[in-house]
Amino acid sequence: MNKPLLAAALLAATVLTAPAIAETVLRLDEVAVGELDPGKASDYADSILMFNVYDTLVLPQQGGPGHAPHLASGWEADGATYTFTLRDDVTFQSGNPMTAEDVVFSLERMQALGAGLSYLFAGVSAEATDTHTVTFTLEEPYAPFVASLVRLPIIDKASVMANLGEGEDEKGDWGQAYLSANSAGTGAYSVSSHNPQSETVMAKSDSYFLGVPDAAPDTVRLRYGLEAATVRTLIAQGEHDIASQWLPPEVITALAKDGAQLLTESGTGGFYFKMNTTKAPLDDVNCRLALASAFDYATAIQMIAINDAVSAGSPATGAIPVGMYGANRTDVVQVQDLDKAKAHLEACAHDPADMNIKVSWIAEVPLEERFALLMQSNFTQLGIKSEIQKLPWALFAEQVSKPENTPHISQLFVNAVTGDPDTLLYGMYHSSTPGTWQSPEHLNDAKVDEHLDAGRSAGSDAEREAAYAALNARLLEIAPTIYGFDRQSVFAASNRVKVPALSDPSKAFGLDGMGFSFRLMEMVE
Amino acid sequence: MSPLLRLLVRRLGISLIVLIGVSILIFCIARVIPGDPARIALGPNATVEQIATLRAALHLDESIIAQYGYFIADLGRGDLGMSLYTNRPVTLDIAEFLPATLELVFFAGVLMVVIGLPIGILSARYRGRWPDHIIRILSLVSVSAPSFVWAVILMLLFAFYLPIFPIAGRIKDIYEIDRVTGFLLIDTLIAGNGAAFWDALRHIILPAIALALSGIGQAARLTRANMVETYAKPYIEMAQAYGFFPSRIARVYAFKPSLIPSLTIIGLDFAAMLGNAFLVEAVFAWPGLSRYGVAVILRKDLNAIMGTVLIIALTFVVVNIIVDLLIAILDPRIRLSQRVGA
Amino acid sequence: MIRSLRILAANPMSLFGLILVVIIVLAAVLAPWITPYPTHNGAVVDFAFANDAPSARNWMGTDLVGRDILSRIIYAYQISLVLGIVVLSISVPLGAVVGLFAGYAGGWVESVLMRLTDVFLSVPPLVLAIAMMGVLEPTLINAMLAVTVMWWPWYARLVYNIARSEREEGYVLAAEVIGASTTHIAFREILPNCLPAIITKMTLDMGFVIIIASSLSFLGLGVQPPTPDLGSMVAEGARYLPDSWWLSVFPGLAILLAVFGFNLLGDGLREILGVDE
Repeated sequence: MNKPLLAAALLAATVLTAPAIAETVLRLDEVAVGELDPGKASDYADSILMFNVYDTLVLPQQGGPGHAPHLASGWEADGATYTFTLRDDVTFQSGNPMTAEDVVFSLERMQALGAGLSYLFAGVSAEATDTHTVTFTLEEPYAPFVASLVRLPIIDKASVMANLGEGEDEKGDWGQAYLSANSAGTGAYSVSSHNPQSETVMAKSDSYFLGVPDAAPDTVRLRYGLEAATVRTLIAQGEHDIASQWLPPEVITALAKDGAQLLTESGTGGFYFKMNTTKAPLDDVNCRLALASAFDYATAIQMIAINDAVSAGSPATGAIPVGMYGANRTDVVQVQDLDKAKAHLEACAHDPADMNIKVSWIAEVPLEERFALLMQSNFTQLGIKSEIQKLPWALFAEQVSKPENTPHISQLFVNAVTGDPDTLLYGMYHSSTPGTWQSPEHLNDAKVDEHLDAGRSAGSDAEREAAYAALNARLLEIAPTIYGFDRQSVFAASNRVKVPALSDPSKAFGLDGMGFSFRLMEMVE
Repeated sequence: MSPLLRLLVRRLGISLIVLIGVSILIFCIARVIPGDPARIALGPNATVEQIATLRAALHLDESIIAQYGYFIADLGRGDLGMSLYTNRPVTLDIAEFLPATLELVFFAGVLMVVIGLPIGILSARYRGRWPDHIIRILSLVSVSAPSFVWAVILMLLFAFYLPIFPIAGRIKDIYEIDRVTGFLLIDTLIAGNGAAFWDALRHIILPAIALALSGIGQAARLTRANMVETYAKPYIEMAQAYGFFPSRIARVYAFKPSLIPSLTIIGLDFAAMLGNAFLVEAVFAWPGLSRYGVAVILRKDLNAIMGTVLIIALTFVVVNIIVDLLIAILDPRIRLSQRVGA
Repeated sequence: MIRSLRILAANPMSLFGLILVVIIVLAAVLAPWITPYPTHNGAVVDFAFANDAPSARNWMGTDLVGRDILSRIIYAYQISLVLGIVVLSISVPLGAVVGLFAGYAGGWVESVLMRLTDVFLSVPPLVLAIAMMGVLEPTLINAMLAVTVMWWPWYARLVYNIARSEREEGYVLAAEVIGASTTHIAFREILPNCLPAIITKMTLDMGFVIIIASSLSFLGLGVQPPTPDLGSMVAEGARYLPDSWWLSVFPGLAILLAVFGFNLLGDGLREILGVDE
């Protein structure tokens, strides 16, 4: 018997003995534990859960700008009033039909909890005008309102009301206890189990209003807190499918060499070294400019290269990532210039000999330690002393709430949570926003505020472009931040799965985490 | 009251005092941790009012003595409060994560006894000859590195280079095992799933060895020393003079008296392993209480920190009572010589 | 002294331990002169040589920013030794005083002091240190503090046990009869009898302190970079297994070697000084 024939015979035997349809399982991981309550979702793991278990009124267009109706069938905008017509064929996983009441409830719940990204919906009110029509009214015009709706997951009101816990509010705990462990959405996947220590298991929903293709995974396991070495070997042994973006570049490179595919997501954020503008010596603009000029951007880019073709970022052109309103041309990149740095340092009111810059890094992202060391050696070239401080994420998020507790320099990946520059920059720089993890600069600059306000209230694309271009220039002038590089997330993955949204630019969503819509993935086996 | 019962009552009394002391100690430590637990719990975007509400709900604005009072009152009702990290009752979290840690620690404890004692005896039997030298050096090496170094070395050798054992976790996720005891080695047997049991066993071996290695070395060294001492006793020399077989002497006359001090050390090592499990669980991604403990410390989750430390101290105290009772049963002299103030 | 050295020399393993300890201490003290890359203990980056496997240029390879691992290990020994010495030189006197008074004085002093000691001893040592470091900023001083807090009770226990058995001995009773003060009896009569046990335990404990301190920094609760520390080197290197094994294996072996040396030496001292295990 020749070999192909033998193989064919074996194949036939397997087909006969194997169950008719093998269940497909997709396994991926995230560093942080995913928050299942969609009203509290803010980071990447939360977003993955939210986008799969819940749906939103609109979705970003794949492969281009703008938004397409999703749970809504269409909408009309009139100044600060938006009227959405809902689809009438959508049911929740509980079997309840989705109505305008659910949309209103979801917004009110988000605002009542005040957690996660609820700040996007401050000053918004909603009214159900009939079963399938919702009217949103904004206190003041907000250009990216439709974009922000990708952050308003629609929750099954009846299910939540039936499971209210104790609380001081009239609605008890607004179902917080229930939703932290159960799903109440319309999504393509429902939660089978949620263990904050190890994993969330999700199963394909039969009743999804758009239907879920057969090729999409039947079960998804989102694992938490795996060590890089573990992920690396699990993928090599075929026991894991998609690694988190937080793997160090060396590990991704090693996986790629072993034949893993590299998935990418880009264009909505950057990597920032944020300087505390309220703390000496960084309260002096010349000192900040000195540090910004001393940073070795080229080496940073070299550090994040995965291989010749793929990198976890591209050189920054300014304060705004390439591809967004107001971004600079791609040929003007940030570069190290020690002479310029020294000139700025001389103009600085503080004596370099007295400086001791505290550079923090987030414990969960080991790559940042290397950036901290790079900065430290760059600053030494200017004769400035610095100290490195490792901060766990939870502690960091707490420290930045007060300017005096915020380290001199904080390293952060920040993404536009809705894909719009407003949600990237407003929270970072507007003086009215409180100290959050996005704004360790604690910047208070009237011109920056002015440009930011202009950007969100502008009526036309051209006006927005102009406002953000002015903002970009102003930010480079006062340097609250060292703009490290434009971020591209890289995920090492097995070849058992195809993810068009993360590999084909014409299918990309331009919104962080949306590429992980499991229903659009294809398992090959 | 029988002496054994009296010993038990006395030990329980002391344990209670110790546990109260531990709770006060940790309570004070947890309360002076910098950082506002309410703000950490609510996340970076919470408003001032929300934080104030949660602070009030957690009694954070009252005196530390009042806070301790609330804590003890709740504890009396079996309530350790809510974990701000997992948003669930702490008791529920502990019930979920403790079995994984205990399974690992117990398994390591068994390894410590079944490997440590025999090689200690072997070492004593061949005292001064090459098996003794090799065992002594190896056991000294094994106590000379922290468990996480063993974990890294074992993982590299037996999971990466020779892929005999799995790298991480407790069991492959293809097995769905009903939770009865929380000990996978037992639950898989209850479920009658042989393949799953085998898989769980393969998962536990490397972490358990990494955790047990220094205990094995310790137990072997101590058993050897005690055996050597016992062999020097007149009654053994007499038995040897009578021409009893060496194996019989070892088994009947030398082993039991030598075992008693070893048991004490095993009790202590058990405690050390509960702490070291923090390190081994981190390397092998073992979903146990230790990982939970580190996570809640980093998040200043007061209730959960308190619950975790108390449960570890409780486990330690219980194991030591059991060890004391075992010793008393094995050696009536100790039972009788128990005096107040010892 | 000479006699002790001779006994030590007669036991090859203890002698080996002594030699190991001497070499490690000398290397740590002379680090700036003997390390191949003395500047690599700080914030130096050299990405041209980042993550290189062991070679003739870097015997133990380089770390992820291009620093020589051998040089960093030798500098890390400085930290470990200083930490061990500081911890022991605080916790030994403290524990000894507590143990002496509890053991000799008896009565309620004994009950209070020893129950207090039991409280500390009943939390697994590492758990207590981790809880402490959760409170404090991760610095060398605080790591020393956390380890010291969990260490003194062991000495209190040790000295207490000896003191309690000694208090009925003839020489103590004799001293009491002639009217010697409590302090005199405790420090002049009883303490000297505890010294062999204390010295032996201190030698062995140098090893254990190194283990506990490296465990803390393994969890990220110890000395912060760029200061080299064996525990954090293993922790960070373990992320890059199996490809970059040298990042974690050499620092791990370095811990093993140092602790092994102190253990061998301690075992030798135990025999010389006639201390029971």
